[in-house]
Amino acid sequence: MRNRLIAGAACAALALSVAAGCGRDADEGAQTAKEVGAGKASGEITVWAMGTEGEKLAEFAKGFTADNPQAKVTVTAVPWDAAGQKLTSAIAAKQTPDVSMIGTTMQGGLAKTGALDVTPTDLFAKDTFFPGAWDTTVVDGTSYGVPWYVETRGIYYRTDLAAKAGFPAGPKTWDELTAMAKALQATAGAKWGINLQPGKTGSWQSVLPFGWSNGAELTKDGKYTFDTPQLAEAVGYYQSFFTQKLAPANLPQGALEPAFIRGEIGAFMSGPWHVGILNEQGGKGFAGKYSVAPMPAEKSSTSFIGGSNLAVFKDAKNRDAAWKFLAWLSKPDVQVRWYQTVSDLPAVQSAWTDSALTADPILKVFGEQLKSAKAPPAYPTWDQIAAVFDTEMEKVCVGGEDPAAALKRIQSQADSIGTGV
Amino acid sequence: MTAIATAGAHRAGRTAQAGAKRWRRAVTGWSFAAPFTVLFLVFLALPVVASLVMSVTDMRATDLRTPFAVDFVGLGNYQRLFGDDLFLRAALNTVVFVAAGVPLTIVAALAAANALNSGLIRFRALFRVGFYLPVVTSIVAIAVVWRFLLDPEAGLVDDLLARVGVDGPNWLGDTRTSLASITVMAAWRNFGSLMVIFLAALQGIPANLYEAATIDGAGRWQQFRRVTLPLMRPALLFGAVITGIGYLQLFEEPLVMTQGGPLSSTLSVSYHIYNQFGFGNYGYAAAASYVLFVAIVALSVLQFRLLGTRDD
Amino acid sequence: MTRDRAAKAALYLVLCAGLLVVVGPFLWMALSSLKPEGEIRAVPPTWWPDTWTFANYRDLFARLDFPQYFTNSAIVAVLVTVGNLLFCSLLGYALAKLDFPGRKALFLAVLGMLMVPGMVTFVPQFVLISNLGLANTYAGLVLPFLAGPFGVFLMRQFLQSIPDDLLEAARVDGAGEWRIFWRIVLPLCRPALATLGILTFLASWNNFLWPLVVATTDDKYTLPVALALYSIGQNRIYFGLLLAGAVVVVVPVLIVFLALQRHFLRGIATTGLK
Repeated sequence: MRNRLIAGAACAALALSVAAGCGRDADEGAQTAKEVGAGKASGEITVWAMGTEGEKLAEFAKGFTADNPQAKVTVTAVPWDAAGQKLTSAIAAKQTPDVSMIGTTMQGGLAKTGALDVTPTDLFAKDTFFPGAWDTTVVDGTSYGVPWYVETRGIYYRTDLAAKAGFPAGPKTWDELTAMAKALQATAGAKWGINLQPGKTGSWQSVLPFGWSNGAELTKDGKYTFDTPQLAEAVGYYQSFFTQKLAPANLPQGALEPAFIRGEIGAFMSGPWHVGILNEQGGKGFAGKYSVAPMPAEKSSTSFIGGSNLAVFKDAKNRDAAWKFLAWLSKPDVQVRWYQTVSDLPAVQSAWTDSALTADPILKVFGEQLKSAKAPPAYPTWDQIAAVFDTEMEKVCVGGEDPAAALKRIQSQADSIGTGV
Repeated sequence: MTAIATAGAHRAGRTAQAGAKRWRRAVTGWSFAAPFTVLFLVFLALPVVASLVMSVTDMRATDLRTPFAVDFVGLGNYQRLFGDDLFLRAALNTVVFVAAGVPLTIVAALAAANALNSGLIRFRALFRVGFYLPVVTSIVAIAVVWRFLLDPEAGLVDDLLARVGVDGPNWLGDTRTSLASITVMAAWRNFGSLMVIFLAALQGIPANLYEAATIDGAGRWQQFRRVTLPLMRPALLFGAVITGIGYLQLFEEPLVMTQGGPLSSTLSVSYHIYNQFGFGNYGYAAAASYVLFVAIVALSVLQFRLLGTRDD
Repeated sequence: MTRDRAAKAALYLVLCAGLLVVVGPFLWMALSSLKPEGEIRAVPPTWWPDTWTFANYRDLFARLDFPQYFTNSAIVAVLVTVGNLLFCSLLGYALAKLDFPGRKALFLAVLGMLMVPGMVTFVPQFVLISNLGLANTYAGLVLPFLAGPFGVFLMRQFLQSIPDDLLEAARVDGAGEWRIFWRIVLPLCRPALATLGILTFLASWNNFLWPLVVATTDDKYTLPVALALYSIGQNRIYFGLLLAGAVVVVVPVLIVFLALQRHFLRGIATTGLK
């Protein structure tokens, strides 16, 4: 009995003390950048980087130490799996490094925690980078980091089958894409003209480029705008591939590449990494049988831009040196060398004039596309809204729902969830 | 006078003795319990209290650096939950899964344990390791093989059904059969752990009881019902509770096999909570976790009533 | 006699069929780790490799600092397993056989903790560990798991079946509680300890999220974390490395299982009663 009373009192005390310190303050307002200043970098710079980048960066960073002998770059490789969880937990426990690589869609949420340092204006200029990539670092008007590498989407297609179908140069417009898909099935023996992701996680990366190509804007005056006629038209166009049986609604995972290699699927939408997969799986000679076309144009040819950014943490122990390291990584020649090390496409525009990137025709297509590619808004709630979007897209593609009605539902959810800014 | 005094002294002495005995028992008991309890309070209980507080605030991931600068919302998160269509769908899916999955897994584990314990079989170690393998196999490998097995065109299951003249459905792609497929797969994956526990429990049943029963003329099935099952009650209770707890938190199978689809037909409560934590809705996800906790407690209480002994 | 033989045959048949069903994916995993990447992704999946290659393993061990990560995993898993075996049997015995004030409350608290979904305490636990200065240390990797409610529940259930007369007899003989515990109780629950050992070791060995978050530099990574580093990319999965890694990770678990399952022998619970 006494034990229960004591326990109860303890709980009440805890609750009261927590309540006393609680409550939101008014918004801090826009943050300003602090300058970094000239001179060489010194001290240890701790960096977190994911995947292959994490593996290769330590060796690559020796170039920076050659230029700045007093500085040392320590890289900790972090798995992509659960990387977001690792970053948010580190922020919660104040265990952040100086620098971290951050996926473009994670930027909004992390910036809003206040854990990221504002990009110094004396070291970085906005127009050095692709506009879409720079926009992924901007939250509420302020930039919190710099783009590192980018990726975008295009239409992979079988050149031999497309030639048979009467489209030797690939599809250029929306009408041509539909016609090519039909012709691939009718005359070139493909089972499916094209593969498009039918909803589910990440499908927004396939659908939104069509929306942007039709002039749709996702935000206006600081709010989400999904319920627009341009986006509805684009979703309707996307849906038409499923209703006309040009795209499979239920392709099993892992079946895409073998089917493309066998000629059962004539085309699909994806990014630069698929080149490696196709060449691996297709074997010798397959590289000559396919190519990549830019997003087919309606009002414009606009694709999605993704990739990763680099950010410095507010609690960084070696802030100035960290930013200098990022400035070094953003130099055009360093970006080219990084591409040659891990095949990451440079985020810096002038790097693309280098011969390493101009020689390959598929790379040229991606490079052109990057100039105008767009990214979703860097709002903290984007992940959640994207999930709603994906669920509705599944209903549209697989269940045949009306696109305008689906977009209305997405809009109402987006309104209630808000932008989080 | 002296007699009463001494009688009183005796009585006082005895109560003092009883008191001393209780004290000794308390000290002994708590000295056994101390190491665990200290670790428990610091590393488990404290975070639970913190997360409970989190569930009555509107905390989001963006508040992580300033966790106290959040607003109290009382039971607001909990109220929102019950208006959330996705959460309600996930709850329904989870309940169905548990109702079907727990008995299925227990029966499979019990059958396997019993079979491997009887003196009939040789190479028992081989079978034991074999049946335990699904528990230790990488979920990625399991997903690839099961997806292939259940493929409507190239898969083994529909192939066999076709030979018998039945047109097999798209197991993982049809909203009507997806949850059932996940249930069978989860039972297949997890019965090995339970089997190991039941095997250990079966060791504790003395052989002479079976001998006596055989002498009395009891058949194998009767022996199972009259000797094995009753003596396995503590282990069965444990198995049911643990499996119930695990299955109410079903997560990995829908994540890897179907991503909650098609059309949220395999979305589980834990998966929904995982998504919410991923979106950064910490307060809301914490509230959902504690609703799940209440469900787990309710199921366990029910199981204790059904299977527990008097002193549980 | 024939009924027994028929029953035996039927049982073998069922068990073997069952064995095929359970072993399938494991076999595919092991065989596929010896295939080139393209063949692993083939649809329909192949069983026997068309091309045999050790490239996946070679690649994995060349890039992975295997001794480091294996040692980390081993240290953590062994410490957690031994800790659980010790603390959980102590408390399990106290809950099952000793009477002391607060026993019921303690059991309910432990049981309740078992029912709290794991995800919800993750961030608070990490903040706590950091504030104690234990981030990126072995202590931080091990401490939250040293006292597992699961183990307490398991040991309590098993220890309940130890006959009270056995303990009373020892007490009457003058043995202290500790002596009873070490000399009489523990040897009797070998199957239970073996079970707890296997299950705890498996959970600790395969633990991914906690070591990922607690280790702020990669010298403290455990094996599952390191393997994820190489096999999961931003947009694709490297199946060859993933499967090779999965095989490497599973071998110690199987060794521990085989070593401990010997203890699933006929118990000696009846000795001492007569």
